[in-house]
This record gives sequence, C-alpha cells and structure tokens, in this order.
Amino acid sequence: MTTVTVPYAPIVVRGGPAYWLGGYRTMLRWQLASLRVWLPALTVIQVLFGAGMVLGIGLLFEDISPAAALYVSSGVPVINLLVIGLILGPQLVADQKAQGSYDFLQALPVPRTTTAAAWYTVSLVGALPGVVVALLAAQLRYGITFTVSRALVAAVLLTAFTGTMLGYALGHAMSNPMATRMIASLLSFVLVGFTPILFPPEQLPGWLAALNWWFPFRHMAVIVRDALAPEMVADAPISYLVVAVWGVGCAVIAAWAVGRRR
Amino acid sequence: MNTTATRQAPPSAGQLPSTIRSGAGHWLRSLHRMPVRPQTGARQWAPMMAVAQVFMGAGMAVMYGFFYPEVDEVTALYIATGTPTLALIPLGLLMLPESVNQQRLEGTFDFIWSLPAPRTAQATSTFLLYTPLSLPGMVLSLVVVTLLCGVQLSVSLLIVPAVLLCALMAVSVGFGMALAISNPMVVSVITSALTFVVLLFSPIVYPPSHLPGWLFAVHQALPFYTMAVVIRAGLSVGLASDLTQSFLVLGAWTVAGWAMTGWGIGRRR
Repeated sequence: MTTVTVPYAPIVVRGGPAYWLGGYRTMLRWQLASLRVWLPALTVIQVLFGAGMVLGIGLLFEDISPAAALYVSSGVPVINLLVIGLILGPQLVADQKAQGSYDFLQALPVPRTTTAAAWYTVSLVGALPGVVVALLAAQLRYGITFTVSRALVAAVLLTAFTGTMLGYALGHAMSNPMATRMIASLLSFVLVGFTPILFPPEQLPGWLAALNWWFPFRHMAVIVRDALAPEMVADAPISYLVVAVWGVGCAVIAAWAVGRRR
Repeated sequence: MNTTATRQAPPSAGQLPSTIRSGAGHWLRSLHRMPVRPQTGARQWAPMMAVAQVFMGAGMAVMYGFFYPEVDEVTALYIATGTPTLALIPLGLLMLPESVNQQRLEGTFDFIWSLPAPRTAQATSTFLLYTPLSLPGMVLSLVVVTLLCGVQLSVSLLIVPAVLLCALMAVSVGFGMALAISNPMVVSVITSALTFVVLLFSPIVYPPSHLPGWLFAVHQALPFYTMAVVIRAGLSVGLASDLTQSFLVLGAWTVAGWAMTGWGIGRRR
C-alpha cells in the first residue's frame, strides 16, 4: 500500500487595510460601471431639480420674503443630498432582489463594508453638482450670500451618510421589494412637503412638527443651514447628535441585514 | 412572339367569401366589447388610480399650505380650486402613458392592436373608460381639501362641462403622446418633466401674476393653466378670466390628442 501525501493548503482569509482599500476601489469601479448609463442622467436631474425647486417655490409667493427664500435655498441642497442615497438606493436594491442579482452581488469576494462605503461615495459625489447649482441659483435669484463655513463639510458628509445608511437599511432589511419601492417614493413626497426642510417647522401643525423632531430630516436641514446661514439656527449641536444617532443606528441595522445568514 | 398570360379564375367551390367586417354596427359592437378586454386592467387599477389622485390632489394641496407662513383666504381659495386640476392631471397625463410604456416593454402592445376590432373603436373605448374613471378621485380630493381649508366654494353648473372636458383632454393628450412617441424612455422623461412643470411652474394653485410675463404667455397656450381657469370658474366667482379662450385651448389640445392617437395607430412600422 502506498501513501500519497497531499500538500497542506492553508485556508487564508484575506484581511487588513490594504485588502479593504483594494475592495473599496473595486466596488467603486463596479458601482460606477453599473450606473454608467444612469449617472449622467442622474446628475442632470439633480441639477435641474436643485435649480427648479429654488426658482419654482419662489413662484408660490407674490413676493417671497427673505426668510422664506433663505429657507428654500438652504433646504433644497439637503434634498439633493438625499435623492440618491435615500430615494434611489433602496429602489436599486429592490430591483436587484426582484431580478435575482442580489445574492450574486452579496457573494462577491470583497468585504461588504467596502460595498457600503463605495455606495456612500457614489451618492455623495452624485449629489454635489445639484447642491452647487442650487446654491448658485439661490444667489442669482434671491441675492442671498451664504457664509460657507468649514462646518459645511461636516454637515454635508453627515447628512449624506445618514441618508445613505437609512436607504441602505431600508433596501437590505426589508424583504419585500414592492414595499421598499413604496416607502422610497413616499419618502420623496414627505421630504418635500411634510418635513420642515424647505420651510420653518412653525408652519406645520404642532403634532407634525413634534413628530418631525424624532426623525432625522428636520435635523439634517438644521445642520446644513447652520453651516450656510448660522444666524438662522440656535441649537445645532443637538441636531448633529440626532442625525449621527440615526446614521449609526441605520448602519447597525444595515450591517445586521447584510451580515445575517439566510 | 407575344405571350399572353391569362389569369385563371380559381374554382369557385374552394373560394372563401371575403369577410372583412366593417360598418357602424361592427364599430359599435367593438366599442361595446373593448372596455372589458384585459388590456385596460381597469378593475385592479381603478383603486390605485383613485389613491394616486387623492395624493396628488389633496396631498399636494395640504403641502402647498405648509409653504406659506400664513394662509389667507385668497390663497386658500386658490389652493382649493386648483386641487381638482392637480387631481385630474396624473391619471391622463402620467399614469396612462406609463401603462402604455409598460405594455410596450412587456410586449403586449402589439397584441392588443392586433385584436380583430377597429383601432379607432379601441382608442375611443380608452377615452370613454378613463374619462369617467378619473372623476371619483377628483371629487374626493376636492371634498377633502374643502373640509381642510374651510373655504366656501360657489359651485355653478359650468363645472360639469369644465371637468368633463379637462378629464377628456388629459386622457386624450396622454394617450396620444404615448402612442405617437414609440420610445418608452422619451415618454418617461416627458411625464417626469410634466410633473415638475405642473406642480411648480404652472399657475394652478397660485395666481398667474406670480409668473414672469413670458412664462404666463406660454401657459396661455398650454393645457395646465387653462384647465385651472375653467375648473376655477365652475367653483368660484371672480377668480377666473379668459374663460372662452381657455375652453378653446383645451378643445384644441383634445383634438390634437386625437390626431396624435390617430397617427399613432394608423402608421405602419
């Protein structure tokens, strides 16, 4: 009897920062490639939406007051920041689930955090042209000069993060793609009309304003507004806290949803 | 040398009679059958349509109210009388084109038009079905808004022809556009752009004096402001002017919608 010795193949689980960065780069390329038809169109839509909202809401008034104009102009960029991550993102994931490509994407040999990080990058970068154009339109139409402070970077990064994570949690944790799509399209209505982003909370009925305090959208508007026009905002730190808590909470839910075994 | 070709008549025994059905009787019978065909899927769509109409009508009206620091009586009246217009637009101009798009993408579009019924009867049945179908959602959102805003409307009989013409116009133009433009992507872009134009840049829930002059001039030839004018005239006194002109513009758009439909169903591909 002969004995054959098989060479021992060690199981290597790859890890470490370099591997993570490699995965992030790959996933970023992957997502840009899969959105290649959409991304230019999306940027155009974002720019048109930004400028259109700033100009269009002014038409509701015979003569828009400076305060209302400032609310609209500083609120539109917040919605721009949420469009891709919060509204489009869950619908893309729902499409993947409906088409059956979801499991394939989850099986790609990259850390799943890199997928999330790459998606965050895409939704942030895709929003910026709209943000810039909305602010420029406001400057031209209403003659508003924004005091852009360094806090703007933090506010924009945090708003986009929480929006994207909320969208990520919605898309991944909900198993019914139809329900995901419904909620996402409902959210677009809620953001424009039923949260105090484009107008002060005092204009909402009391209960709705109180309810909004517990959701992150109003606070996103507060922190972005605090960075653009500090004189309008009294208590930004608590809003930073609320937005951050929502962001982390949604990230945890998304991590659970992505990581669970099925 | 001459060759003479003579055509031989087929033996009359095997000849099938040519039976291309036509005539008013056939057309009317087809019209009668068409609404129940599966294509319209009206039974499962109807509740969803009413919900969408209430959202776009009453929901938007509530939303507009939030944008004003203080909603005075005139503003409230404008919002309330603009609501039926907002509620009528989505069914004809947004949802109907989208459902035609859906048929094109699913491939059922060609099947439907190959059914043995005159195409004009099919198109007419679509108009006849969707025009009344858009009314319940509109009435519901008007009731909701009147209760919420607490405005006093003075309804006149004019509202009947106004609403019927507006609903027919929206259905005709939406259907005609979806048939005349064969690329579903283009139709989608147009309907999305329309939503934006209707909700923000059309003087439906605010007086036209808010618009720059050139934009108002454009709107006098478009069907959105004119819709608002005729419906407002049926619900209130003293807010609307240019009534005859608005009816004419709406009538012209309706006919244009029929022309687009006719061209769309008649051409060979």
